[in-house]
Amino acid sequence: MTVHNLYIFDRNGTCLHYGEWNRKKQAGISKDEEFKLMYGMSFSIRSFVSKMSPLDMKDGFMTFQTSRYKLHYYETPTGLKIIMNTDLGVPNSRDILHQIYSTLYVEYIVKNPLCALGDTLQSELFNSRLDSFVRALPFFSARAA
Amino acid sequence: MAIFSVYVVNKAGGLIYQYDNHVPRTEVEKTFSFPLDLVLKIHDEKVVVSFGQRDGIRVGHAVLSINGVDVNGKNTSEGKEILEYLKDPANYPVSIKFGRARLSSNEKLMLASMFHSLFAIGSQLSPEVGSSGIEMLETDAFKLHCFQTLTGIKFIVLADPRQTGIDALLRKIYEIYSDFALKNPFYSLEMPIRCELFDQNLKGSLEVAEKAATFGPVS
Amino acid sequence: MSRQSNRTSDSKKMNSELFTLTYGALVTQLCKDYENDEEVNKQLDKMGYNIGVRLIEDFLARSSVGRCHDFRETADVIAKVAFKMYLGVTPSVTNWSPAGDEFSLILESNPLVDFVELPDNHNNLVYSSLLCGVLRGSLEMVQMAVDVRFAQDTLRGDNVTEIRMKFIKRIEENLPAGDE
Repeated sequence: MTVHNLYIFDRNGTCLHYGEWNRKKQAGISKDEEFKLMYGMSFSIRSFVSKMSPLDMKDGFMTFQTSRYKLHYYETPTGLKIIMNTDLGVPNSRDILHQIYSTLYVEYIVKNPLCALGDTLQSELFNSRLDSFVRALPFFSARAA
Repeated sequence: MAIFSVYVVNKAGGLIYQYDNHVPRTEVEKTFSFPLDLVLKIHDEKVVVSFGQRDGIRVGHAVLSINGVDVNGKNTSEGKEILEYLKDPANYPVSIKFGRARLSSNEKLMLASMFHSLFAIGSQLSPEVGSSGIEMLETDAFKLHCFQTLTGIKFIVLADPRQTGIDALLRKIYEIYSDFALKNPFYSLEMPIRCELFDQNLKGSLEVAEKAATFGPVS
Repeated sequence: MSRQSNRTSDSKKMNSELFTLTYGALVTQLCKDYENDEEVNKQLDKMGYNIGVRLIEDFLARSSVGRCHDFRETADVIAKVAFKMYLGVTPSVTNWSPAGDEFSLILESNPLVDFVELPDNHNNLVYSSLLCGVLRGSLEMVQMAVDVRFAQDTLRGDNVTEIRMKFIKRIEENLPAGDE
């Protein structure tokens, strides 16, 4: 099992952070375009799901999977979006994404008065903490890292 | 256990078949006095609740009828704008029915082609080589399962998240499609499926799948 | 990570008098820097707003509160959870408008004003207007535009402190321009 990559977007669609661990294939477009496409896709899925749902939803969209990977989605009420791609064996990881939000983003970015919100995250501390957090996940294996 | 609906999408992203198998009732009728303590907005030509919820009326519910008369999109049956009508204290007390808006056939077409592109993007953004598009999408209210054949036809089933046996059902629907649509000489490829036998067999297999899940292991 | 383990436990203790004095020093300094009370109110509100847009993230991370779908729910969460968590008081929620879009928070005691006597030459100073900004900023981050003001203030001789909150609109989320 493994984690491929992770995106953090703010409410305006700016990619605040991107991290990559075991990624075998690039999307074939620039990173900037990839971020836009990823954000656009998550935005469309949310709107698709809210129209499609036969019942009232609470959390809404949580994950999707293809034949090769699984995408985990978490959104805070403030509109921060965390998207993590893993392989198919990883169970739903909402709580893990919530932990990234509450123990890393809030602690190291929001509470750091020198970090401007809404801009690409420059904090070294956050980046290294996030990296070690992901590497310490039970389903992270360093097979190709 | 429940299977909500089935969609068949051709390789160009066009919806060629749709069937609502189980539509949960989510409707609430309530009498209001002025002023209305819900915030309404117009969304997709409907009047929906954007903020405020009570007595089973939820954010996202649309105004379905006013004083027992069905509304017509964002207008009342008499062609007045609903938002304006509800601003006038003279029209109170008023009884309004709220509920999840039913999808119109146009919206279903739109959603099918939307999924068609999401499917493709899902494959493009894959971090692994050789990935398909979205095969399963999960929310807290339903799961969407999609099976794309080698020829590019997508069979989509919306079901309760706990419903089992969907993979087998999707293959079964593919079989029914090839038996009763494709083999029917009067069916033209890529066009909407209007075949009595296809309908019957599909309904039959949905029933079987729902029953099997009821007695089968709960996963 | 040690910060994770004690994350859920209670917030760190801090001497409340130091907090009150810090706030007092801040307000008086502002009064010196800006001669006009209105301007001081505005600056306090602005600072509060900047605190609010960050504080809300801490709040959401710490409490298990999800998105509110009703203003009454919002009022309850503010009074019972947020005020309790950050100021250690629980205001009561009253004076609802008929349309349910306006209410008052009544504070029996306001920790910001523990040692404050408002001098005569600061008639227009809304000493605690930082709170208005915090509320406005944090609600804006969860897609609610609200108007917040002090309706009564013990500093001005009223019996209680009353913060009046009015719901203006939902802020709709849109795709940023230029995105596909």
